[in-house]
Amino acid sequence: MRKMNITLCVAVIVLSLFGLLMIYSSSYVWADYKFDDAFKYVKNQGMFLIVGIVFMYLVSKINFEKYYSYANKIFIICFILLVLVLIFGTERNGSKSWFGIGSFGIQPSEFMKLAMVIFTSKYLYNNRKDIGNIRKGVIPILGLTLGVFALIMLQPDFGTGLILVMGVIGLLFVGGVNMKFFIKVGLLGVGGIIALIAAAPYRLKRILSFLNPWEDPLGSGFQIIQSLYAIGPGGLFGFGLGGSRQKHFYLPEPQTDFIFSIISEEFGFMGVLIVASLFITIIVCVVKIALKCENLFGKYLAFGIVFELGFQALLNLMVVVGLIPVTGVTLPFLSYGGSSLLITLVSIGVILNVSRHQR
Amino acid sequence: MKIVLVIIIFLFILVIGKVFYIQVIDYDKLNDLASNLWSRNLPVKADRGLIYDRDGAVLADNITTTSLVLIPNQIKNKKETTSKLAEILGVSYDEMYKHVNKRTSIERVHPEGRRLSYEVADKIRQLELDGVYLVKESQRYYPFDTYMSHTLGYVGIDNQGLSGLELMYDKYLTGKDGAIKYFSDAKGNKLKLTEVYEKPQNGMNLTLTINKDIQASIERELDNAVTKYNPDRVIALAMDPNSGEVLGISARPNFSPNNYQKYTTEEINRNLPIWATYEPGSTFKIITLAAALEEGKVDLEKDTYNDSGSIRVENATLHCWKHGGHGHETFLEVVENSCNPGFVILGQKLGKAKLFDYIKKFGFGSKTGIDLNGESTGILFPIDKVGPVELATTAFGQGVSVTPIQQVTAVSAAINGGILYKPYIVKSINEPETNTVIKQTKKTVVRKVISEKTSEKVRYALESVVSNGTGRTAYIDGYRVGGKTGTAQKVQDGHYLVNNYILSFIGFLPADDPQIVVYFAIDNPKGVQQFGGVIAGPPAKAILSDAIKALNIKKPSGGMEKEYQYTDKKYKTVPDVSGKSKKEATEALKDFEVVFEGSGDKVTYQSPEAGARIYEGETVRVFTS
Repeated sequence: MRKMNITLCVAVIVLSLFGLLMIYSSSYVWADYKFDDAFKYVKNQGMFLIVGIVFMYLVSKINFEKYYSYANKIFIICFILLVLVLIFGTERNGSKSWFGIGSFGIQPSEFMKLAMVIFTSKYLYNNRKDIGNIRKGVIPILGLTLGVFALIMLQPDFGTGLILVMGVIGLLFVGGVNMKFFIKVGLLGVGGIIALIAAAPYRLKRILSFLNPWEDPLGSGFQIIQSLYAIGPGGLFGFGLGGSRQKHFYLPEPQTDFIFSIISEEFGFMGVLIVASLFITIIVCVVKIALKCENLFGKYLAFGIVFELGFQALLNLMVVVGLIPVTGVTLPFLSYGGSSLLITLVSIGVILNVSRHQR
Repeated sequence: MKIVLVIIIFLFILVIGKVFYIQVIDYDKLNDLASNLWSRNLPVKADRGLIYDRDGAVLADNITTTSLVLIPNQIKNKKETTSKLAEILGVSYDEMYKHVNKRTSIERVHPEGRRLSYEVADKIRQLELDGVYLVKESQRYYPFDTYMSHTLGYVGIDNQGLSGLELMYDKYLTGKDGAIKYFSDAKGNKLKLTEVYEKPQNGMNLTLTINKDIQASIERELDNAVTKYNPDRVIALAMDPNSGEVLGISARPNFSPNNYQKYTTEEINRNLPIWATYEPGSTFKIITLAAALEEGKVDLEKDTYNDSGSIRVENATLHCWKHGGHGHETFLEVVENSCNPGFVILGQKLGKAKLFDYIKKFGFGSKTGIDLNGESTGILFPIDKVGPVELATTAFGQGVSVTPIQQVTAVSAAINGGILYKPYIVKSINEPETNTVIKQTKKTVVRKVISEKTSEKVRYALESVVSNGTGRTAYIDGYRVGGKTGTAQKVQDGHYLVNNYILSFIGFLPADDPQIVVYFAIDNPKGVQQFGGVIAGPPAKAILSDAIKALNIKKPSGGMEKEYQYTDKKYKTVPDVSGKSKKEATEALKDFEVVFEGSGDKVTYQSPEAGARIYEGETVRVFTS
């Protein structure tokens, strides 16, 4: 047993605290307007952060090999929760993704992201000899993943579903699945998209609308325009903490998906570089931990978690800066969202434990 | 495995690159767009450019007024705001409620909320209502009110030029409005961020060629003419013959640009000195004279003519204005007497081609091109329709239709050495802060019409008109004045009107080196002898006299002595009576008619002042207290 990875730990805590600060800065205008309480969001998130850090510490003490034995149970519980949320969940912003408990909410799909990584890691470990065989090794786990994806899409929550699938695919790649398979899947996907567009050409227009948001400034382009109006004027150094204009009702719910816009506005390009460096630090740290891990299951766990984390961050950032269409994904550590922060910190706890079993 | 890491890092770099693109490359565009989104402007009106006379006296000024501006989104208590403002401004509650609740970023209450008096503005200020602002606005003000109203023009409620120079030079006079920019949230509330003051860019200033004193003299004489003769129209124009600069221009009826709403568009838009066209009458003889001299068709001293009172041309008999005619006379006397048959002879000597050629070369039949709106062209006989009768009448100024500005411009050319200049009124356009010249008008030579020598003869002949002939009423003691009278019967529907004349005088000074040409025309004066010299001569003379001081013209040596006729009055110098009693003053002023004003017995002020030379028997006003 070794000590846990301090760099990772510090980067995560710094990023989360910065996120808390930015949640306050970006949300107080809306919070004051909606709830008459400027601190409404930051108080909620602060509680989750404290709980999350405690959990991260506790989880880092739990030997990760235990998840191997509980993988199926965890997966089944999360699967049931995903089914139940469709029945008993409360609807927010058109998605039935939440179990509402008072003013808090629990999002089962967030838990499923971790459960899926644990389950897939175990699967890959168990089937490591069959992984070269597509039909026997890959199709079953991919089928299951798509099933979970379909379940999440019933809410619907495309963003979370996509991250989950990407995480599994990443893991399959790490697990040694033939490259040709991914190329075939990729081609199939492209073919499918072309078929969908051919069936209804308006889809292409909708997909490409993000390239020129000014075509529909009050409709599909609205959020991205507001985001660009925040990022652009930020310039090199930004307006300084609290100086954002766009959070004054221009950008809807700036503390969630578009918190990065406000960071760019208040801290400019320098702030963006620092946030990006922290993310890259975390990712590089985890990848190093994974590569050094002697235990194949632990290696898969770390990779799976970092893939999901990395994809989620990139998906969010690419939406915010207008590189891809709006998908509705939050930025890990920074965006407002209790369950998301909690599960992210727990995931980091898992990785911290893995880091203690390095060569 | 490393491929995945590379892809992730590559994507991060892509994101950072895009952010760099947005924040650095696209910064200006996005920042402008976003600023427009965030900022609300409280307009700060730019001052309209001032209009100056040639010496810097302000002819069109601005006064600062206060206007009400509402920002409906910031008005918290709509009902209170509505009722209070409605009461102060005298607007109905319902109407004010519409303004207060309008879905707009900035709302003006028009017209009740504009150009507020100090008291009203102060009442609103004391209310300290949210979303209610008072902004400064600039309003046009004409300090001399009706002075040269047609030429200056007027502006509308938004300070836009609507006629005259205000319209013609609107582009220059209009400034660029500034603003107090403040940042607002998406709901219209003011954010506590620094306000940006964008300074308004004031309009350019115009400096005119007008001389304020000559203009004042013109306005006074126009008013006098209206009082004395109740004419249909009166026109006066003064020009520097050596450049085409207009020194004074005005007419009656006129209007007050400060209260333009009270007048008809016709009254406002017709700038008579450039718009009116009519038969010039005898003032036009100057052109015939200049042409005949230039062509060597006449020697003023040696050639003679015997005027029997009429002349037969083809089947028509053309009469001289004097019954029985002027008898045997030299052609100089023909000019002095303004003898019509004599000028018919000059016209015949020239022939129609030559005469009309000169008329056109002097600028008649086409616009002078003065920088004012609404100039007329006038009408000449088409050359192929000109028979002997038309040639004869044109020679003495009948059957042509010209504008005052054409006459003044042409006569200027005839006496300035023969150069026809394009008249102009805007001397320069200046940037208001640095006074940098943006545009400067230089005198423009249209063409050389006659020789310097011919011009000198014309001057001589016209000086003798004033000294010895029909222009005697314009004689100024001690100065050399040249000029020509004009009496033109008015035409309506192709017929001459009975007892309806335009009486005019065109004069210049000094006759040997003219500095100013003055034209004065009275249209249909009532109850007077219908001769140009008698009626239009004195006001032209008064303007010329004032011009002596205004232009600082030196008393010349030489010149022609006036031939006094028994009817002529003599000049007398007005003595100083200030401090004297009424009785003493009456004694001292025995050569004049004395009008006392005021209650006391002690003289405090007199007009004209001591030392002025006026005709004996003229009125001297004496103020007592």
